[in-house]
Amino acid sequence: MTDRLTDRLTAIDNRLRMTVAQAGYKQPGFGGAIQFTILLACIAVIAQSLYVVEARPQDLITGAHGMADIIRRAMPPDFSKFRSEIWPTLETIDIAIFGTVAGVVMALPLAVLAAANVTPARWLYYVARGIIGFTRAVPDLVWALLFVAAVGLGPFPGALALAVHSIGMLGRLFAEVIEQMDMAPVEALSLTGARRMQVFSHSVLPSVIPSLLGITLYRLDENIRSSLVLGFVGAGGIGFQLLTAMNLFQYQEVSLLLIIVFVVVLAAERGSAILRARLS
Amino acid sequence: MLEVRGLCLTYPNGKQALNNVNLTVRPGELVIVLGGNGSGKTTLLRCLTRTLQPTAGQVSVNNRDLTGLSGEKLRQARMALALISQHASLVRRRSVCANVAAGALGHYSDLLTSLGRLPRPEMEMALGYLAEVGLEHLAGQRAGTLSGGQAQRVAIARALAQRPRALLADEPVASLDPEAAEEIMRLLKRLAKDDNLAVLCVLHQVDLAFGHADRVVGIRAGQVAFDLPREELSRDRIRNLYLSEAA
Repeated sequence: MTDRLTDRLTAIDNRLRMTVAQAGYKQPGFGGAIQFTILLACIAVIAQSLYVVEARPQDLITGAHGMADIIRRAMPPDFSKFRSEIWPTLETIDIAIFGTVAGVVMALPLAVLAAANVTPARWLYYVARGIIGFTRAVPDLVWALLFVAAVGLGPFPGALALAVHSIGMLGRLFAEVIEQMDMAPVEALSLTGARRMQVFSHSVLPSVIPSLLGITLYRLDENIRSSLVLGFVGAGGIGFQLLTAMNLFQYQEVSLLLIIVFVVVLAAERGSAILRARLS
Repeated sequence: MLEVRGLCLTYPNGKQALNNVNLTVRPGELVIVLGGNGSGKTTLLRCLTRTLQPTAGQVSVNNRDLTGLSGEKLRQARMALALISQHASLVRRRSVCANVAAGALGHYSDLLTSLGRLPRPEMEMALGYLAEVGLEHLAGQRAGTLSGGQAQRVAIARALAQRPRALLADEPVASLDPEAAEEIMRLLKRLAKDDNLAVLCVLHQVDLAFGHADRVVGIRAGQVAFDLPREELSRDRIRNLYLSEAA
């Protein structure tokens, strides 16, 4: 029984091979020389990056002793300082909330101007795209440095940095959502004699709002992560506590702060994912 | 009354899409436009709504000329002319009632309607328009959950909310099954009579034209080939319209 089945399968396989050969079928893809050149190019790119970053794997081995020493000194986490870390944690979350809300408020009108299908004038499109591109191109850490210099240390420069950077990130994504929307309901409402603002609020906005909310939640999640780092440049929050504890060799406090960071990031990520799933 | 006089449209590449089109649709009348693909039927409707600018001629609704208007005057004039297209073009995430009430927005200029609020009287009237198309029981449902036939009836209710004097329909039954198509045509005919609307409807279904039209206009190569009462129209004439279009 098994032999007969094997024979039949072999016969089918042979027939298929003949058919493929008769059809002049060739395996799709590049020629051998091109493939070899691409492989060499990839190896060259990786090799130059190893050279530029001065990669020394042996340092990982020699540095293991130092790492083990830090971990030993960080254990157990200093939970007695938990109460004093609540305020910086709240500050971190609030920096992200302020940055996201202010970012949305400024990004939405810009996105409308920067969406080719609804922009009222071509020159406004280019101006809006320019602002979005500039605010996105400068990293939030650089914005934080600038705002710390301008308004001083504390959570406010951090919140401003996230707000400005969010304008660029949200503006671009919002504009893309608007550009990809179905324009038929928009045209239908325009032809009823509705005014431009009415068309926007009754047709464009209801169509795109779930996507915009999803993007905003994702941005809030990203901003919470960013706000943890902003403290390193003096922009308040838990990052500032972390930097201070590191500088003072308070490794048990550092480990407590890292646990708090882990919990906050995980909660933000899960919360954002659950809300986005509900929206879709 | 919808009047079209000497309407011409020539594209920048020299192609003449419409050539001296003349037709009149009186209040209470359902006029059906037939013609092959590319004959100029949809272009005619686009010129009537001024989404395309005709190169010559005149379009008037209740003796108001639309052709020379622009900006705010055109927006106001458009309110007298409602368009139903092949796809219902509803805002899927809004309720059926909100979609219908949105048809009346052009009559309002206050800040709240600009910020997304629908006027309360219009919401109440929307229920009446939905009753006219037999869908008042779906008022609270999301528009995205409707069938093709239901969505098209909601689009008609939205057009009624606009309170137009003329109703244009561009292949309103193209994506519907025969029963739903028949229902939509009966509805258009009834609205023409009951609401005293001038209804101009572009169709591909000859049988529906024979069954419902007061008058049938044949378009061929951007020109009116015939404009006859339904009773005077023969099947041969229709066949000739499509044959000459194919040739």
